[in-house]
Amino acid sequence: MALLNSLLPSLSRAPGRQAESNGTPGIRPVYEIKETEEAWGLTAHLPGVAKDALTITDEDGLLTLRAQRSWKQPAGWTSLYRESSDLPFELILRHDGAVDADKARAELKDGVLRLSLPKAEARKPRKIAIT
Amino acid sequence: MRLVRYTYPTNRSLSPYGSFASPWSGLEGEIDRLFETVLGDYTSPTADRFPVDLYEDKDNLFVRAEVPGVDRSNINVEVVENYLNITAARKSSENGQEQSFSFSRSVAIPESVQPDKVAAQYQDGVLTVTLPKKEEAKPRKVAVSVS
Repeated sequence: MALLNSLLPSLSRAPGRQAESNGTPGIRPVYEIKETEEAWGLTAHLPGVAKDALTITDEDGLLTLRAQRSWKQPAGWTSLYRESSDLPFELILRHDGAVDADKARAELKDGVLRLSLPKAEARKPRKIAIT
Repeated sequence: MRLVRYTYPTNRSLSPYGSFASPWSGLEGEIDRLFETVLGDYTSPTADRFPVDLYEDKDNLFVRAEVPGVDRSNINVEVVENYLNITAARKSSENGQEQSFSFSRSVAIPESVQPDKVAAQYQDGVLTVTLPKKEEAKPRKVAVSVS
């Protein structure tokens, strides 16, 4: 098993779970990153999450997204069949300073988060003139 | 001959992607996707199934479907015979091209539901359908005297 883990790194990561230091494990949401010259665009599906339940922090080159589900099952309801999870969402992305967090913009609509992460000026490719 | 552990080359210094991509991220992504479609985790952006939960209380049956990022006008909820059909289309426009991605799910519902009183709400990407039970299907206490 250890040999297999070293050959295929994805096997040593539990799918959909990331270790959280605060105790409750979070589920990795469905997400997609698209890149343009100026910025990265992150789209994450966070069904059942309202704006106040979502926190996005950027620290030390690590972008962390944490969201609690805003809906609680009402007292009189009996669950007959469950496919969705009650676990909070967590997404951690390492960018090592390539993102300018001050200019990041986030929008949460209908359970979809669109996060625009502009590239840090210092890390953009630049042309070097020849004299 | 010596056995040396293979170290994966990392492209950090020269790659324009920074640290978001490594040479293996394509393969890792594919393997993750393969596992996840088999295990039914619904964790791929192109999954055509969405999670559905069924609840009930004494007066109603509830169906909750996680369908984020869809316009209300693109969600169709129908009750046909004993099935509840939920169809949703997610439209995205990229580079001037409109793409529409639709998915649907059919949930079997018991007969004891009033089809004309079904109501649906869409909030924060979750669709909640309320199906009121027929009067005769609601739990009732019947006192039986034992002689």
